[in-house]
Amino acid sequence: MAALMIWAAVAIAAIVAVGLVRVLCGPTRADSMMAAQLIGTGGIAVLLLIGVAAGAPAVVDVALALALLSAFAGVGFVLGGARR
Amino acid sequence: MTAWFDVGLALMALGLAWRAIATRRAFDSTVAFVIYGLVLTIAWVRLGAYDVALTEAAVGSGLTGALLLGAAHRLERAPADEDRPSAPLRALLAVACAGVALGLGAVVLALPQVEPLQAVAAASAAEATGLLNPVNNVLMAFRAIDTVLEKMVLFAALVGVWSLAPDAAWGRRPGRRFPPAAEGPLTLFARVLPPVGVLIAAHLLWVGADAPGGAFQGATILAAMILLVRLAGLADAPPVSSRALRLLIVLGPAAFLGVGMAGVVLAGAPFAYPAAHAKAIILVVEFAMLVSVAATLALLVVGPPERAQAAP
Repeated sequence: MAALMIWAAVAIAAIVAVGLVRVLCGPTRADSMMAAQLIGTGGIAVLLLIGVAAGAPAVVDVALALALLSAFAGVGFVLGGARR
Repeated sequence: MTAWFDVGLALMALGLAWRAIATRRAFDSTVAFVIYGLVLTIAWVRLGAYDVALTEAAVGSGLTGALLLGAAHRLERAPADEDRPSAPLRALLAVACAGVALGLGAVVLALPQVEPLQAVAAASAAEATGLLNPVNNVLMAFRAIDTVLEKMVLFAALVGVWSLAPDAAWGRRPGRRFPPAAEGPLTLFARVLPPVGVLIAAHLLWVGADAPGGAFQGATILAAMILLVRLAGLADAPPVSSRALRLLIVLGPAAFLGVGMAGVVLAGAPFAYPAAHAKAIILVVEFAMLVSVAATLALLVVGPPERAQAAP
C-alpha cells in the first residue's frame, strides 16, 4: 500500500510540475499565480500521500497549514500584487 | 523509485532557487520563491524533519510570500533604480557569493557523524518538562533564553518598520485601507476561513507539546487570518498608538521573560520551571506568545503607518 502511495505521489508531482512551464513563461502574472496555486494544491496531495506512506501523522498538520496559507496567498495576490 | 522522486525534488529546488535569484522582475522572483518553499517543505518531510517542514510551510511559503508580494508591488510603483554595478564589482560579488555557498556546503559535508546537538539528551529528558516533543523541549526549556531573544528580534523588527512612518502619519492606522468588497466570494471567504484558521492555530500550539507544532507555526496561521480579514475590508488595523495593541505585542515576550525570571525564585535558576507544573507553565507562556507573535507578524506585513489624513 505504501509503495502505491509513493507511486501516486510521484505521478501527481510529475503532472503538477508541468505547471512550472506556466510559472516560468506564463504570458501574464495571473497565469504564473494560477500555476503556483495548482502546484500548491498538488504539493499538498504529495505531502499527504508520502506522509501516510511514511506513517507520519504530523504531515497532515503540515498539509493543513499549507492549504490554509496558499488560499491566503491567492487573495494576497489578487488584492496586492495584481492591481496596477 | 523514491530515489528518483528525491532527485527530482532536489532538481526542482535548485531550478526554482536559480529562477528566484536570476530573474530581474521582483514578481517572478517572488512566485518562484513561494514554490521553492513548497518544494523544500516536501523535501523536509522526505528527510523526516517534520518540525522543520511545518515551519517552512508556515513561514517560508505562506507569510513570507505575502510580505514579498507586497514589497514587489511597492517596488514597481517606485521609480526604477537604473544604476547597475560595474562588471568587475558584479564578478567580485559572484565570486564572494559562490565562495560562501561552497564554504557552507563544505562545512555541511565535514560535519561529524555523531549527534552534535545532543538530540538524544533532549529526547531522553522529556520527562523533565512533561513535553514529548524534543524540539519544543529545546525551544521552551533547555534553550529558552534563545527563544526569548528570538521574540525580541521580531519586536525590534516591528519597531524598525514603524520607524519608517512619515511624521504626519505617526500614530495613525498602518498600511492602506482596503475598501469593503461587495458581498461576494472574498467576503464569504474572509468570514468562513478565519474560524478554521483560529482552530488550526490552537491545534498546532496544543499538539506542539507532544508532536511537531508550536506557538510560532500557529502564530503565522493566525497572522494570515488577521491579514485576510483586513484584505477583504471587513476590519481595519488599529492605530499604532493604540495602547491595547502595544500591550498585545509586548504580552508574549513579557510573559516569557517574567516566567523566566520567576524561575530564579521558584526553581533556583533563570528560565528553570518547577518540575511539577512545567508543562502547564510552558503552555501558558506559549499561548501568550501565540497572540503576540501573530499580532507582530501581521503588523510587519501591513507595514508602517502612512496615511496622511485620519482614517474615517
